[in-house]
Amino acid sequence: MSEKSKRAADTLYGKAAPPADVAPEMASQADGVEALAHAPGESDEHIIHVRGLRRRYRLGKDNFVDALRGASLDIRRGEMAAIMGPSGSGKSTMMHIIGCLDVPDAGEVWLSGRRVDTVRGRALTRVRGREIGFIFQGFNLIPTLNAIDNVSLAAEYAGASRSKAVEKAKRLLELVGLGDRMRHAPSELSGGQQQRVAIARALVNDPTIILGDEPTGDLDTATSEEIVATLRRINTETGTTFVLVTHNPEVAEACDRIIRMRDGVVVDFGEQA
Amino acid sequence: MRLLRNIFRRKLRAFLTIFGIAIGVFSLVVMGGIAEKLTLLVDGGVIYYQGKVIVSPDSGITGLSTGVLSTNLRSDLEKIDGVARASAQVSGLLDKEPSSVNFGTIPSFGASDGRERGYETFIVTYSQGRELTNVDNGKVTVGADLVKKLDAAVGGTVTIRDKKYTVVGIADKTLTAPDSSVVMTMHDAREIVFDDLPAEAKTSTAKDTIVSSYVLYLDKGVAPAAVAARIKRHITGVRAVTPEDFEQQIKQPLQIFTSVIYAIGAISLLVGGLSVINTMTMSVSERTREIGVRKAIGASDAQIMSQFVAESGVIGLIGGIAGLLLGLMIASAGNAAGEASGNALFLVTPRLMIGSVLFAVVLGVVSGLYPAYHAASLNPVQALRYE
Repeated sequence: MSEKSKRAADTLYGKAAPPADVAPEMASQADGVEALAHAPGESDEHIIHVRGLRRRYRLGKDNFVDALRGASLDIRRGEMAAIMGPSGSGKSTMMHIIGCLDVPDAGEVWLSGRRVDTVRGRALTRVRGREIGFIFQGFNLIPTLNAIDNVSLAAEYAGASRSKAVEKAKRLLELVGLGDRMRHAPSELSGGQQQRVAIARALVNDPTIILGDEPTGDLDTATSEEIVATLRRINTETGTTFVLVTHNPEVAEACDRIIRMRDGVVVDFGEQA
Repeated sequence: MRLLRNIFRRKLRAFLTIFGIAIGVFSLVVMGGIAEKLTLLVDGGVIYYQGKVIVSPDSGITGLSTGVLSTNLRSDLEKIDGVARASAQVSGLLDKEPSSVNFGTIPSFGASDGRERGYETFIVTYSQGRELTNVDNGKVTVGADLVKKLDAAVGGTVTIRDKKYTVVGIADKTLTAPDSSVVMTMHDAREIVFDDLPAEAKTSTAKDTIVSSYVLYLDKGVAPAAVAARIKRHITGVRAVTPEDFEQQIKQPLQIFTSVIYAIGAISLLVGGLSVINTMTMSVSERTREIGVRKAIGASDAQIMSQFVAESGVIGLIGGIAGLLLGLMIASAGNAAGEASGNALFLVTPRLMIGSVLFAVVLGVVSGLYPAYHAASLNPVQALRYE
């Protein structure tokens, strides 16, 4: 066992303090993305590999909140995992760091065998575009764009031509059952329909991981069940890995595994279903 | 289309911002239209004066003298070293008391003795009818800008100083002095000039020797300034104006004038630019969450930046086109009104049109840079939390 992987494995079980340094020399390597010869501590079946994550937010002068205090977790390729925990337990911060929207103060994040916690700027944007799809609680569709354009926009950001992006958007909207609502603006769609558009948008760049931040939080029970069923179907059909942050036990129960967080650390890795 | 939808999310605000730019471009087009017109007039003058010396009574204004010279002077002038030919001109103001304030050239009448033929390179052509000859007493040709004012048509008559003249030709537009002048015979012009003389001058002046000014055509390679200096030495009571004098007296002040005009236009457009900055900054802050979403779904900083810069550029473009159309409307309305008095004030040239709209677009883009940079550098996590 290498020194690095030993330390990582130790932190996983909370035996050792997480690394305080973020190994700045790594950031200077090509594109900041370090390919992983062999996943530290675990096998390649883990698409997400997080060790000793720390993140402190400054709220005001001399007023800090430690959102993550050395959190570690692994997600298997093709898994559909739920993260539960009280407000302020660090779920969203964890999700933002895995999603390459935020960077940790300390700890390691590996996505598909590549270390990403040291990546910054444009390279991080590229990793995000390639690996990650997001689904939000408030749907977060762009109000001035119709369903097709909301979906195709993400593909265009990733460099697809307009015609290719539109073609793919149409296919995905069919997949989520919105074939007859493609030209509707978000304001003309129900909450469940809007979230389906958001799911299609999350899928458009063929991400390996889809992160959901309370994806059913704004929906009623029936619609919520429909959305979870849709996510499950996509998970089964495409093998895309899903990580859903949720307060809803029913949503969590529908997942393969429930990971629980409290006070900025993972306290329960959950039973593999 | 997407850009337009984003811009017109807040319709009133978008409209007001575009209106601000439009007013700026409007003022640039209208002010610039005046400047272009004057510049063209003066450029025409520069071409006309090239290689000539104009001799006029010492008291008079170039070309439009109130005092008079005499035909006797011609042989003296042609004796001056370097002078090839002297052509006598009789001219005056079309209206005894010119109405209102005039920009550009004042409507005038003029006649020449025909000795400029073969020497003059500034040739006026005719859109209708024919050129005037020296036996055409009682007949005139009319400059393009005076057609409306005088209600002139070939074969019809026009009234000048209470006398009727038959129109035999209407000149093509030259965009300079001849557009606002009536050409008549020496005899007819002398009648008017003589009538205008003060009573005491009438007794000492022979009507048929009156000359308002001489145009001197020079031998090849002779400097106008050298000829002017010789005239000053040998002939008294006259003023010799060279092309250099014209440049100094007219062109340089005009350049200052046009710079001031353009500066005023540009300043009003800059004010419009400030409102674009304001609008875009507000738009960015309203759309903070959306920017977070765009980043989350894979937009790079450069893509966010270019989106907002493009939006503000389009605001500039729409405002520019609106302002240009408004300016063209006012300029053509102004010219239509001005034609009645023989004076077209505005000349909106293609370079002015393109320049004004381009300036508005560049201004829009530049004004959008800071808000766009601010949008691009937003932290995605904070932007997503923004309500």
